[in-house]
Amino acid sequence: MTHQAHAYHMVDPSPWPLTGAVAALLMTSGLAVWFHFHSTTLMALGTVLLLLTMYQWWRDIIREGTFQGHHTPPVQKGLRYGMILFITSEVFFFLGFFWAFYHASLAPTPELGGCWPPTGITTLDPFEVPLLNTAVLLASGVTVTWAHHSIMEGERKQAIHSLTLTILLGFYFTFLQGLEYYDAPFTIADGVYGSTFFVATGFHGLHVIIGSTFLAVCLLRQIRYHFTSEHHFGFEAAAWYWHFVDVVWLFLYISIYWWGS
Amino acid sequence: MAALGKLSQALLRSSFGQTRRQLSAAASAGHAENASRTWKILSFVVALPGVAVCMLNMYLKMQEHHHEQPEFIPYSHLRIRTKRFPWGDGNHSLFHNDHLNALPGGYEGHDE
Repeated sequence: MTHQAHAYHMVDPSPWPLTGAVAALLMTSGLAVWFHFHSTTLMALGTVLLLLTMYQWWRDIIREGTFQGHHTPPVQKGLRYGMILFITSEVFFFLGFFWAFYHASLAPTPELGGCWPPTGITTLDPFEVPLLNTAVLLASGVTVTWAHHSIMEGERKQAIHSLTLTILLGFYFTFLQGLEYYDAPFTIADGVYGSTFFVATGFHGLHVIIGSTFLAVCLLRQIRYHFTSEHHFGFEAAAWYWHFVDVVWLFLYISIYWWGS
Repeated sequence: MAALGKLSQALLRSSFGQTRRQLSAAASAGHAENASRTWKILSFVVALPGVAVCMLNMYLKMQEHHHEQPEFIPYSHLRIRTKRFPWGDGNHSLFHNDHLNALPGGYEGHDE
């Protein structure tokens, strides 16, 4: 039996990076094919491959960390850096859309009527559903913190309850946003107002769904005893991501919903 | 973001030597090993009632005004159709609402 003289994780060869790359290629080219030739086959294939890749790659990481003990402290430190860098890249992603919004709204062109909101746009009341959405996400930030402390203190039942509550709040937000999208008196095709509104809030909504899924996986893992009070980085990563999603919403609310109305 | 950085720094340090629980600013009730109780209380006394108040506010506001349909003026800077949508007849957005979303030619079908 061979032993390694260091604490790092030399990962076994894996097909998932390749399948992930192929999935990305099929999804993007598939999107173009859909727009121009009205066929969804390529895009659907890419999506299925992406889902399979994510499921199997992350399942392998859980096996390597939780069951095989490869996630030593230095390895965990690397994973922390990785998650921080990833979230930072997502911050820059959203920065772009905020840039677009402020570019369009700080100096509205004559075509829009020289004003913001543009002429003919009926904006949403920021103190109705958007305010409720803000309360929902802020509340979920509190419950996810409750979950974290519960895990650290070995309070199994409380961890499960608080994590479930967090996920339910996430679903409630998504549901409310869906209603808002349907009840909006403007669409994505309503000039730069519609574009900036739906692209920014749309990508945010996608991130809420991703974050909720991440938390749901953590809930499953907590139920199956994967986490210890000292070692539960998967949960911490999910909580960091969730706080990030909450912060993005706060900026969206202040900029687009409130100032932009 | 700064809070995230601080928290991760603290957790990185914890791998050396003694583990020290970092509490966020709100739970500054000393070195409570019972921080989970603090956040549980915050959840049920502040967070969820806050949500409930906003829900009540919404319900009351909904009763005041039912959906008024905005007047249709055929502005050229709205209802852009440079390229048709890749679904349906290409003229309806993804979350199209007959009552509130006019097409480039006006509201569709039954106006209410």
